[in-house]
Amino acid sequence: MGQTLTKTLRPKIKEIQVSLYLLRRNKLTKVALYGVIVLLLIAIITPILLPAEIHINQDVNPAEKLMSPSLTHPFGTDELGRDIFKRILLGSTISLRTALIAVGMALLIGIPLGALAGYFGGVLDEIIMRLTDIFLGFPPLLLAIAIASFLGPNLNNAVLAIALSWWPWYARIVRGQAVSLKERQFVKAAKAIGTPPLKIVSSHIIPNCVGPIIVQASMDIGGVILTIASLSFLGLGAQAPTPEWGLMVSTSRNYFLNAWWYSIFPGLAIFFTVLAFNLLGDGLREILDPRTRKN
Amino acid sequence: MKKLITILLILTMTFSLFVGCGNEQKKASSDVDIAYYAYSSEPILNWDPSVMFSNGVVVLNNVYETLLRFDPGTKEFIPVLATEYSSSEDGLTWNFKLREGVKFHDGSDFTAEDVKYSIERTMALGQGASYIWFAVDTIDVVSDYEVQLNLMYPSAMDLAAACPYAAFMMPTEIADKPDNWFEGGNEIGTGPYVLESNSMGDEVILSSYADYWQPWSDNQFEKVIFKKTTETSSRRQMIEKGEADIVSELPSEDIEALKDNANVVVESVPSFTNLLGMFNTEKAPLNDVNVRKALSYAFPYNDVVDYAAGGYASQSTGVVPEGMWGHSEELMQYNLDLEKAKSLLEEAGYGEGELKLLLTYMSGDEVEKKAAELYKAELSKIGVDLEIRGMNWESQWELSMATNPDDRQDIFFIYWWPDIASPYSWMYSLFHTEESILFNLSYYSNETVDGLIDEASGLGGTNIEKAEQLFVEAQEIILDEAAALFTIDKTVQWVQNPTFKGFVDNPAYPRVIFFYDCYREK
Amino acid sequence: MKNYIIKRVLLGILVLLGVTVITFFLSRIIPSNPAAQWVGPRATQEQIDQATVELGLDQSIMVQFQTYLKDLLQGDFGNSLRTKQPVTEELKAYIPPTVELVLISTILAIVIGIPLGLNSAKKKDQALDHFCRFFSVGAVSLPTFWVALFLQLIFFRGLGWLPLGGQLDTKIKIMYEIPNITGLLLTDSLLTGNMTIFFDALKHIILPAITIALYPIGLVARMTRGAMLEILSEDYIKAARSYGLKERLVLWKYALKNSLGTTVTVLALSIGYTLVNTFLVEAIFSWPGIGSYIATSVMALDYPAIMGVTIFSAFSYIFLNMIADIIIAIDPRVRV
Repeated sequence: MGQTLTKTLRPKIKEIQVSLYLLRRNKLTKVALYGVIVLLLIAIITPILLPAEIHINQDVNPAEKLMSPSLTHPFGTDELGRDIFKRILLGSTISLRTALIAVGMALLIGIPLGALAGYFGGVLDEIIMRLTDIFLGFPPLLLAIAIASFLGPNLNNAVLAIALSWWPWYARIVRGQAVSLKERQFVKAAKAIGTPPLKIVSSHIIPNCVGPIIVQASMDIGGVILTIASLSFLGLGAQAPTPEWGLMVSTSRNYFLNAWWYSIFPGLAIFFTVLAFNLLGDGLREILDPRTRKN
Repeated sequence: MKKLITILLILTMTFSLFVGCGNEQKKASSDVDIAYYAYSSEPILNWDPSVMFSNGVVVLNNVYETLLRFDPGTKEFIPVLATEYSSSEDGLTWNFKLREGVKFHDGSDFTAEDVKYSIERTMALGQGASYIWFAVDTIDVVSDYEVQLNLMYPSAMDLAAACPYAAFMMPTEIADKPDNWFEGGNEIGTGPYVLESNSMGDEVILSSYADYWQPWSDNQFEKVIFKKTTETSSRRQMIEKGEADIVSELPSEDIEALKDNANVVVESVPSFTNLLGMFNTEKAPLNDVNVRKALSYAFPYNDVVDYAAGGYASQSTGVVPEGMWGHSEELMQYNLDLEKAKSLLEEAGYGEGELKLLLTYMSGDEVEKKAAELYKAELSKIGVDLEIRGMNWESQWELSMATNPDDRQDIFFIYWWPDIASPYSWMYSLFHTEESILFNLSYYSNETVDGLIDEASGLGGTNIEKAEQLFVEAQEIILDEAAALFTIDKTVQWVQNPTFKGFVDNPAYPRVIFFYDCYREK
Repeated sequence: MKNYIIKRVLLGILVLLGVTVITFFLSRIIPSNPAAQWVGPRATQEQIDQATVELGLDQSIMVQFQTYLKDLLQGDFGNSLRTKQPVTEELKAYIPPTVELVLISTILAIVIGIPLGLNSAKKKDQALDHFCRFFSVGAVSLPTFWVALFLQLIFFRGLGWLPLGGQLDTKIKIMYEIPNITGLLLTDSLLTGNMTIFFDALKHIILPAITIALYPIGLVARMTRGAMLEILSEDYIKAARSYGLKERLVLWKYALKNSLGTTVTVLALSIGYTLVNTFLVEAIFSWPGIGSYIATSVMALDYPAIMGVTIFSAFSYIFLNMIADIIIAIDPRVRV
């Protein structure tokens, strides 16, 4: 047991070392990585420093509504006098948390289904793959819109809607992995000694798929954040007074001729966050691409 | 590659030469007088004048006409298709003399037969605002230009005849049309404008009816365009640039900015619209009157007037808004008093953090949204957790009709404006006991109040003073029992192009512009 | 080859059926009362009951689905609860403007995205490449609705060069007979030779088209660059170069042809994204396409309309992907 562990660990450690080297060399990706780390920190610290009860529920100051950016309010105030900079910070937690949950749920559905399809093959494979085909037949976002509008517009349903539209991608990827994995020595060996098939899937197949999946999922976070913002913009996601960025841009439409800052800054927040995740994902993909590693 | 590009260029040039010589068929000259009304939602969805009960009022009131028109300022009835009318002592017989020489858009003459047909058809279909004719038993065609309504009980038929809904006159020819003839976007009215084109709830174009019974002058509008423009910023920009002649429903912030703009004329007028928060009296804890009172003392009335409505409103007094008869300034008002609210809650047995309520409002409406947010913040200060949910009208209404009262909302934000210019519209629709849920979304049921309302409605035709008294009494009880939150009476802000003249707002005809009365000042 | 096509088409049909099933059952979860909606406000219980029977809602779900499917096959999507008009008629009117937008944005994506991707692959790691990478990732990170507002602010309010929204100026609509041959204003006005309409339509379509094109441009540039990089490192390219073939020839003739496969897939994908992005943008520009239609229908919970648009969009998307797959299959190296 210990021997196989080090046997599998050592090449993995070497891989990680190569990755870090390539990472250091790629400036754009490094910047993106710092950006993402900063965002995560903001998302984690803000709710501690600014508890929701006071800063979301009780936070109204209508006398100061729609004030332009100043020293006290760096991004100005909104239609109820709330500080936009503060709401953007609070919104970071919401965006990141919901994105993580949505992706997490999609993984929870997609990984087991994909693994089962790939390992067992046959009819199960056909059924699951046709199912993914059907879900993937919806143009992106449309299924999320349909589900969210039918379930009722709130953030939780939006998250569910996204999870239900994204799992097929992961199922596909995992299935591909599982199909190649099942021909590998250690899997065949486990089978030979009589390990029950479900145990093989859970202990051998799934853990080995997790790697590329995690990479894909983290690249998707940007897209999911954008989707949540889009759903909220359409009125299908977060509800007032939640400081979700897409909702803020949507509300700002009523005021944008009087308060340009209200539309610009939340939009920029969305842009930079998604950009950071996308650049990071882009860079990671290049780093992990075996061809780049060859050179 | 280069060759390909050169060939393409030559082709494009030749093509455009030919194309340039093509015909640019003009349909109309560019100095036709057109009025452009940028409207906040679909101008009209239902073309059936007996049934239409929402936005379509802005279009149909230019295409069809009613017997009378009501002026709430002077409390007088202006003769339109009826030249004079009278009622019997007991209020059970109403006689209308009709205008002669009026033609429908299909060329047929307007006679008493058409009046009888229109009212009977509306009653038979029984939808929309048809209830205004409930009292009618039979209709007699006395002569070609005289019609008599015989009622089962006294009721104000002049108000009914002046109603912006369900009171339009249509020709008997309609009876021969197929069932969904109206749905295609067809009309046969007597009004000054004829339907020219209609594109699926998006845009309606009307053109002037040459044989209208009143004369046309040069500077009146030959065409009227109603365009659905949902974005408030779009409406504002259109009126600023002069692309639209008239808009309304702009947020107060835009109105403030537009006041200083010399290119537009801003006019603020009273409306009969008020905003109520209906308390679910069938569900705990709001079935306890003390809790309802507490919630009434926790509402930030002044802030909502100043900030949610931007000052374009006043706090409501009672159920009936200011300007409508049946309104009384003597009625009590609740005011923001958090201490009182807290002690009332404690009395009722609820400590801090123990109450969780759900308030639903119509999504897309900034005033309702801001009012809800302000209320939420205020309630949070006394430990009440208010969830606010913006829903589209259909879902909001649907939720309120759930079979189990516990599944419904606790507070329902709703605007009310009258269909018929009488307190009856509010009192009956909102607070009279209902067999099946319609608009009494407090699910309020009080026999005394019911009795007062029923009695007052009968008197409306004969003894207005007594009717008013009864309506006020009913409101007293409703206020005492805090059946709902009475928040604000809104005003309406019209923004017009300075060359667009002649428009006088009539709150009995909400959002309606009678374009015949308007003209272009060059 | 034929087998592949047949298999692909059958798959497409299956997927379409699955999409219909899912959408249909989704729409039945809504806690709304379509009969009440159909009859309108202040309706009596009797009228609601009557409408329930008329709309076939008293039948079991399976029967309702069968009826729906049967109508669907005859091209009947039912009637919109909001406007009472047949959904098919409304779709027919609302689809062409969206098609126009999608076409223009796809053309822009090809005309700008491909050269951008090509050249940045050629000059890898130089300034152009960095710009291209940043731009293409940036373009797909931008919230489209935000870009729309932004452009409107600058070009209408700020500079006053371009109109606020809509397809045509109202005055033009009144003065001229609008041609309707293909439903695409730009083409129709050219075909009938009405240059006034053409230029007005052009002015109106610029901002929404640019807004919607950003995502596909970014996507196409990114994919083209990736595919080109792969190919450029291939041996046969090195061979062609060493034979002294002109650089331009190498790039355009050999490399591009082989990257076509990826590009076609990406285009199909991007049309799918574009279709959905129009939902967000059409509202802002008052563009009378299916985006506005679905936004209004979602607001009103008009489930026949929502289903109609969903099924239509899914159909287009599936169809496009099918075509893309078949085109790629022409390349003998690709076969699943």
